[in-house]
Amino acid sequence: MDLSQKKGRTVFMIVWGALIVLIIAAIIAIGLPSGKSETIKEAMKDGVLHEENKVSFFGLLVNPAVVSAYVITGVLLLCAALIRIFAVPRFKDVPGKFQSVLEKLVEFFEDMARGNSPHKTPVVAAYIFSAGVYIFFSTLFELFGIQVIAENGHSIALPAPLSDINAAIAMGFLSYLFILLAGIIVNGVKGGLRVLKDFSLPISMSFRIFGALLSGLLVTELVYYYTALSFVVPVIVGVLFTILHAVIQTYVLATLVSVFYGEAVEPVQSKKDKKQRKE
Amino acid sequence: MPLNIDFVQILLHVLNFVILAGGLTLLLFKPVSKFMRERRERFEKEARENAENAAENERLKAEYEEKLANVDEEIRELKTAAEQEAAEAAKNYLESAKQRGDEMIHAAEQEAEARKSQILESAHTEISELVLSAAQKLVEDTEDEERTHALYDAFLLQEEEALRRRRKA
Repeated sequence: MDLSQKKGRTVFMIVWGALIVLIIAAIIAIGLPSGKSETIKEAMKDGVLHEENKVSFFGLLVNPAVVSAYVITGVLLLCAALIRIFAVPRFKDVPGKFQSVLEKLVEFFEDMARGNSPHKTPVVAAYIFSAGVYIFFSTLFELFGIQVIAENGHSIALPAPLSDINAAIAMGFLSYLFILLAGIIVNGVKGGLRVLKDFSLPISMSFRIFGALLSGLLVTELVYYYTALSFVVPVIVGVLFTILHAVIQTYVLATLVSVFYGEAVEPVQSKKDKKQRKE
Repeated sequence: MPLNIDFVQILLHVLNFVILAGGLTLLLFKPVSKFMRERRERFEKEARENAENAAENERLKAEYEEKLANVDEEIRELKTAAEQEAAEAAKNYLESAKQRGDEMIHAAEQEAEARKSQILESAHTEISELVLSAAQKLVEDTEDEERTHALYDAFLLQEEEALRRRRKA
């Protein structure tokens, strides 16, 4: 019994060691992989600017992030529809695991909306819920590394959509427009002016999210570029720059939108009150 | 454009997010939020009703306890009243019985009296008839001279005797 156990462990160690040696040997034998068709400089530059590796999207040449975004939307909407059809009608008063997760998610955004914007809460809650889900899952999407063929023949992994500056700008400006519109609808011109004085908000929101996700993308790109770094390191980098970013950016954008929205739709007060509040 | 900013792509992203936001809100956020709100409202309502029921129960309990205490009191009062009534009735009965007895005795006395006088009267009549018949007999007897004399003598003797006794006295 004791002997056979010892024997089994020895066999396992030998196989494991052999496997590792074999893989390392293969890597050395093959040399640096075919990704070397573009230099690291080109790869990094393309990671930021997406000038080279364009992808066709219904005949339109776009950055891969657009494809990522639509893929994510499709998947999320499908999941939402499935949940709506199969899970929601079976919700119980005492929630199960899946229901708890959904409830917690909705509750989190509702509480945040209520805390930051006590007036006209439901609209902003729905908005930050959608934005949060989108940012979270689109950032995680990077981890799947779905491959597509670019127009120039390169094989590229679909990036997180928000690491593309266009997506980040779209997100930032859309959020700003949402707040502006809410301000105008609720408080008229005064509400609109109140939002307009924070004109830097869309830019800061856009570039914050862009910068955060781009940094993750660049580091990941860098790590994956060198085969020697492909062991263990991607796990740490992936966790740091993907999962943490997903959570942090979701939280940051949701908070920012709800805070500014809350300020925009707040009932108009006298100037004195406003001054006091600002202080 | 610098940084590869492309308005078409920005609009594509905006469109994408608008579709996603609408879909998620409709399919996920609203149903879940509605479910949670309804559940919370139902629970709050139930809690409120329970509290109301508890208060109502408490109130009823107090009421019943008070009633029970009152019932003891009431029973005591009723008992006393019944006892008094019974005593009264017994007293009345006794009195009426006594009165009736008196009446009966009185009636009996009267009847006895009536009877007595009746008897006396009838006795009287009988005596007089007797005396009469005796007298008649006597008269019939006096047809004998000798006997009449003897009777006179006897009478006189008797009277003398009586006179002597009276004088002595």
